Amino acid sequence: MLGIPVIAWMAFFLAVPYVLLLLQSFWEAGLWSTLHIWNIQNYTAVLFGKSLAGNIYLPVLIRSIENGMMVTVFATLIGFPVAYLLAFKLRKRRMLVYTLVIVPLWASYLLRAYAWKVILGNNGLLGSVLNHIGLGNSFLSNILYSRAAVVIALTHIFTPFMILSIYSVLERVPASLISASKDLGVGRLGTFFKIVLPLSLPGVIAGATFTLGLATGDFVAPILVGGPSNSMIGNIIYSEFGATGDYPLGSAIAFVLLAFIIVLVAISTLAERREQI
Amino acid sequence: MMNALESRSSDPVEKANLSTSLAVRLEGVTKSYDAVPALKGVSLDVADGEFITLLGPSGCGKTTTLRLIGGFERPDSGAVYVAGKNVTYEPPFRRPVNTVFQQYALFPHLSIYNNIAYGLRHARVPKAEIHRRVNQKMALMEIADLGDRKPSQLSGGQQQRVALARALVMEPKVLLLDEPLGALDYKLRKAMQLELRRVHREVGVTFIYVTHDQEEAMTMSDRIVVMNQGRIEQLGVPEEIYDNPATPFVAGFVGDTNLVNGVARECRAGRATVDLGVMGVVEGVCRYEVDAGDQVLVSVRPEDVRVTPSSESSIIVRDAMLIGSSIHLTMVAGDSTVSALVPRSAAVLPGTPVAVNLVGPRVCVYAREQA
Repeated sequence: MLGIPVIAWMAFFLAVPYVLLLLQSFWEAGLWSTLHIWNIQNYTAVLFGKSLAGNIYLPVLIRSIENGMMVTVFATLIGFPVAYLLAFKLRKRRMLVYTLVIVPLWASYLLRAYAWKVILGNNGLLGSVLNHIGLGNSFLSNILYSRAAVVIALTHIFTPFMILSIYSVLERVPASLISASKDLGVGRLGTFFKIVLPLSLPGVIAGATFTLGLATGDFVAPILVGGPSNSMIGNIIYSEFGATGDYPLGSAIAFVLLAFIIVLVAISTLAERREQI
Repeated sequence: MMNALESRSSDPVEKANLSTSLAVRLEGVTKSYDAVPALKGVSLDVADGEFITLLGPSGCGKTTTLRLIGGFERPDSGAVYVAGKNVTYEPPFRRPVNTVFQQYALFPHLSIYNNIAYGLRHARVPKAEIHRRVNQKMALMEIADLGDRKPSQLSGGQQQRVALARALVMEPKVLLLDEPLGALDYKLRKAMQLELRRVHREVGVTFIYVTHDQEEAMTMSDRIVVMNQGRIEQLGVPEEIYDNPATPFVAGFVGDTNLVNGVARECRAGRATVDLGVMGVVEGVCRYEVDAGDQVLVSVRPEDVRVTPSSESSIIVRDAMLIGSSIHLTMVAGDSTVSALVPRSAAVLPGTPVAVNLVGPRVCVYAREQA
């Protein structure tokens, strides 16, 4: 009985909009309004392109997934060591580092993405430092409005989630398991690969799913630091619902992206279940 | 009791050839955590093949001692030898020592077989030999049919057996056991005590066992090391620890005892006569220099207190409790209480005035500053 308000809330604000969006994706955009003509042309447009313009949607979707994957890899590479330090190495300074990890989460997402514009911009922080040390003309000084800038900004935004996700798992690995491994003759590196890493996998999988899903669908970082040639699938959806006004096509793209994320989450759930102890 | 004493060697270290068959030697080991001393100079020789127990209350340093032998801690000063080799600064993985941890510390993501084979695999032992040795130890611990299970599917007692098999399969010189039975219920603990004795006999490895349970220490050990506040209070065979505790602490920690204040009358050749006031005059073993007239402390086991009804006595029975085959009497004698363990045939009702008689070879006298 207590669940009814929650179910009503979810139905009204989540299920109904999704169903409407799904219905809309099978309709057609007219000149001034959406025409309720049932067809799958929006999906063929997303997957195979429109006859005249060629396919502009699928390459962007693939580029978005690639960006998401790069962000996931970098966030894991940065996040794992930090989470490991937090869980096993730091004692007195654990709270300090932990706070430093979560402080960025208190700042607005938009602000954090915008900060990279300031850092990477033409006369920005990075550029002026490089100028000072005589590297003013290296490729790094002109990094704003590039794919690299998008990946950097998104990595910065999602790394804290990755750290927290891995840390929450590592924290529950008893120190006695590490002692036991060493006791049985296995050194530090062996213990890491045979005990710590396998036991941390559920956290890595959860963090990677989260990061890949959200980074792939992101549209703020590309606007601020990516520029028009580096837009991601989120920007396309945004423009279909905005300037272009093709709601059905926007809905179809959104559902293709959603399908990708559902498959991703399904794989990750299966993988996590296999790792279950 | 005396026969049992003779059947065990009084000092296995002395009996063994000292240089070759010492399993572990600690030399003046000290260790502090954040300036709080945990060990204040511990020296200990453990003979090869011995079952030795470190016994003491929590915080006495017994687990720290074990961790120093295992290599999980480094001493601030002093040295640790295992099998004649100085291993003070060797990491755990370079010591011929294995540990059974308090919470078993089985690897949750590995099967039982792979848990036990873990150390051998890493040591690149040939596959056929791993198989032989793992199966042999699984048979020894009677867990032969659990190989494919995961640790979470096992009961506490079974996990305990796996932890033992995993440590023993490495064929260590010394096996360290850190309160391994602490998490088990009473019956299982009793059964595992017998199991541990059997395994110790069969494999012949030196066992160093940590516990705070004096009964467990008594029933299992060849020798007991009683520790308190970072020091060794007494080292000896169980009978010696019980019958002739070196300090009032040992007397009180190992078994029940009465610690009664008295005044020394005479002390000669390791024996002292003490005036206990209303409880009369008693004679007991005395390890200390005591002069006539000194305030002393006398330890008397409850089973060494004889109680007879006597209308002239000022000692009153306050409580009589049935403990199976005997009765535990609590008596008020002046400003102190005395307890006695008497056969049911000698039961006395509460409120009865009684005379007490302290007898037997287990009466011990301590100088007051030892308290």
